[in-house]
This record gives sequence, C-alpha cells and structure tokens, in this order.
Amino acid sequence: MSVPALEVLAISKDFGRIIALRGVSFSVQSGEFVSILGRNGAGKTTLLNIISGISRPSEGEVKLFGTDPSDRENKAKLAVISHEMFLYGNLTAIENLEYYSRIYNIPNAKQRVETVLNDVELTHRRFDLVATYSRGMTQRLTIARALLHEPSLLLLDEPFTGLDQHAIGMLITLLKKQKEMGRTILLTTHDLHTATELSDRYVVISKHKIVKDGLIADTNPDAIREKFFSADTGGIDL
Amino acid sequence: MMRTAISILKKDLRMEFRSKESILAMWIFSLLIFVIFNFTFEVSRLVMLEIAPGLLWVAFVFSGMFGLNQSFALEKENGNLRAMALMPVDGGQIYVGKFFSVTIIMLMFEALIFPIFIIFYDLQLSLGMFRLIPVLLAGTIGFTSLGTILSAVAVHTRNQQILLSLLLWPLVSPIIIWSVTLTGMVLSGEVTEAFYPLLLRVGAFDVIFFTLSYMLFDFILED
Repeated sequence: MSVPALEVLAISKDFGRIIALRGVSFSVQSGEFVSILGRNGAGKTTLLNIISGISRPSEGEVKLFGTDPSDRENKAKLAVISHEMFLYGNLTAIENLEYYSRIYNIPNAKQRVETVLNDVELTHRRFDLVATYSRGMTQRLTIARALLHEPSLLLLDEPFTGLDQHAIGMLITLLKKQKEMGRTILLTTHDLHTATELSDRYVVISKHKIVKDGLIADTNPDAIREKFFSADTGGIDL
Repeated sequence: MMRTAISILKKDLRMEFRSKESILAMWIFSLLIFVIFNFTFEVSRLVMLEIAPGLLWVAFVFSGMFGLNQSFALEKENGNLRAMALMPVDGGQIYVGKFFSVTIIMLMFEALIFPIFIIFYDLQLSLGMFRLIPVLLAGTIGFTSLGTILSAVAVHTRNQQILLSLLLWPLVSPIIIWSVTLTGMVLSGEVTEAFYPLLLRVGAFDVIFFTLSYMLFDFILED
C-alpha cells in the first residue's frame, strides 16, 4: 500500500493552559478530498498550522508523504489557502505571482502565471495593484497563487469566508478540477452543504477531539446535520 | 541558492520605491532632529564637532528603527509572514533578502540626509571625509544585521516597536558607540592610530551578528 499523503498521529497542542487539540489522529490518502468540520475554536486552524509545518504539536507527530512537514521537499508540494491573502497589496497581480514563481522555482513561470490568472478570470486586472481589488478578486488571486506551483496537497482553511456567490461558485469549480487532477485536498469549513458536495470523507472535530470520521457516500447529509450540527447536541453552528 | 534572497530584495525595493513610505518618513524624522538641535543650542564650532557625530547616529538609529519596524510590518500584513514560513526555502535566505533590503534602504536614506547634516552644522567637506564611507557602512550593517532578526521576532508580538527597542538597544550599543567615536575622528580630522582597529572591531561584530542571524532565522519563522 502506498504511503498516505498525510498522517496525523495522536497530536495534541496546548497554548499554555489553553487546549487546542487533544489526541487527534487520522490519515488522508493521495487524491482524497477530506473536509474537517467543527465550530469556531474547535482547533481546525491549529490543526492546519501543524500539518503545514509552521507550528509544532505539543505531542504526537505529523507526516506528509511519509516525512516531516517542515522538510523543504514537502513544503514545495504544499499550498495553503486561508482567509489571509499571502499577497502584497502594493504589488500588481503579475508582480505577486512572479515573485512566488521565483521563490518556488517554477519552470516556464511566465506561461504558468498567465494560466493561473486565466483560471481565476483575472487576466484583465493583472497589471493593477492588489490593494485596489475587491475581497472576491483578492481571494481569487490567493487561489491562483496557491495553485501556481501545482501542489500535491492543498490545505484550505475556511476559504469561502467573505466571498460572494460568484466567487464561491468559481472556487468550488476550481476545487472540483483540482480533485479530478488527483490532488489531495483538506478543507476546513462550517458549510456542511459545500463539504458534502466536494468531499469524499469528513472528519468532525468537537471540543478539540475527533468525534466522527466517515465517508460522505455512506452517510446521509441530514444525518450528519442532525447528529453533529444541531444546537441540541452541542455540535457545530450552522 | 541566492534566488530567494534576490527575489525578496527585489520585491521589497520595488514596494519601497513605489510607496517611498520608509525613506520619506526616515528622512523627515532626521530632518526634524537636525532642525531642533540646530536652533535649540547655540554652541561654538568646536562644541558642535563634539556633539555632531552623536547627533548623526541618533538620527540614523532612530530613523532606522522605523525602517526595521516597517520591513516586517509589511510582511505581517495579509499573512505574508506565514507565507514565508511555508516557503520551500532555507530561512537564512529569507534573512539575507530582508537584511539587504533594510540595509540598502537605510544606506540610501543616509546618503540623502548626510548633505543636510553637513549644511545644518556647517561642516567642512574634505577628502578625509571619504573615511566616513566604511564607518557608515560598518555601523549600518551592524545595526541592520541584528535589527532584521530582532524585528522578525518582535513582529509576532502586539507591542512590536517597544519590544524591538528593548531587544535591539542593549545588543547594538557597542557598535553605535564605536561608530560615533569613528565618525567623530573623521569629522574633526583627527584620525588616530586607533581608527582602523576600531573599524575592524565593528566589522568583526557585523560578521558575528550576520552569521548568527543567518543560522537562527529558520526558528524565528515558526509560530
């Protein structure tokens, strides 16, 4: 059996007396699309920070493609999309993408930059400063930046936050395309509808622990909603 | 290997030339220092030669603090500091890029403010003043090599500017004191035998600060 794209092995994370994660374990196979569901403060962002290698767990271990997430080779295979842009407002879209393409040492960078700008429908605004973009356009450029180096593993932290319907639709289409291309995707979201539409599997985090790990195909979305999203169960807010 | 450092340097300089935010603020701040001191104290030329080197470095260092704060504040905006931590590159390369951008911006500011300083304090230009070039270079490099890494530490905190001052001043003080002494020698035209050994000492500190910062920068980027 091939090495999983991601293995999370009994990780815990504390910030002083504040517990963020407690004994979290799961794995994600290459090409799988997994959604992590949980209410604010459940530990989803902390989990993604640990997986991406920018934060270390207090206990436990994470393996990306069988090795440490902070390995440079792993970082080159990874992309993160979150509510943070990872873009410079005082540079144009082209300048931002050319900067990242040099950092990631992308061959045929000019062509690749044009391709991703076209994918997110921003070619017409490529010479404008990012500071002049709307929230939706900025998020589209954030996606273009993340896909620039054709990552094997995409980590998405609440990527739909603050987007209009058009931008949400575009992001969903792009994610479906990435899934078809065989990329491994890990998404944290509050949006159960989107999670069930896109994912193969879902993991529910509540009170810093995993309380459910199941296949979307085997589960009735209404049952997930009833069991984990209802206010009566102390589950996730919709 | 230097690809990352050069990319960061080019990006930072492009943003600075576009906004001129740091250089302009540093220049205005230094001008204010010179104006206030010039019109507040009516002192003889001899006394002025005594205090001018210190004044020049006060202007450089306080304005430089602004430049340092600005350098990583730009990275913190929009989460770019996290983006740096995610880059598949050696943290030392990121440090080198940031160090050169801060140093170049500071040297450009020094080149712009120095003529104003000469005019305000009625100093005589002479060939001997070229000795100031290695002094300013060595002093500035010491200040920015340490300032760059400490600025990256401080940017993670709420009181970034206070923390940077608290961390930087005790460590960089020897370099600043020696640079003031060296500048005083050049401006007064009394370059003694102690000049080059002292300049070498500043240079040695520069090398130590730069090397240590280069090696430690990977740890700074982690949360």
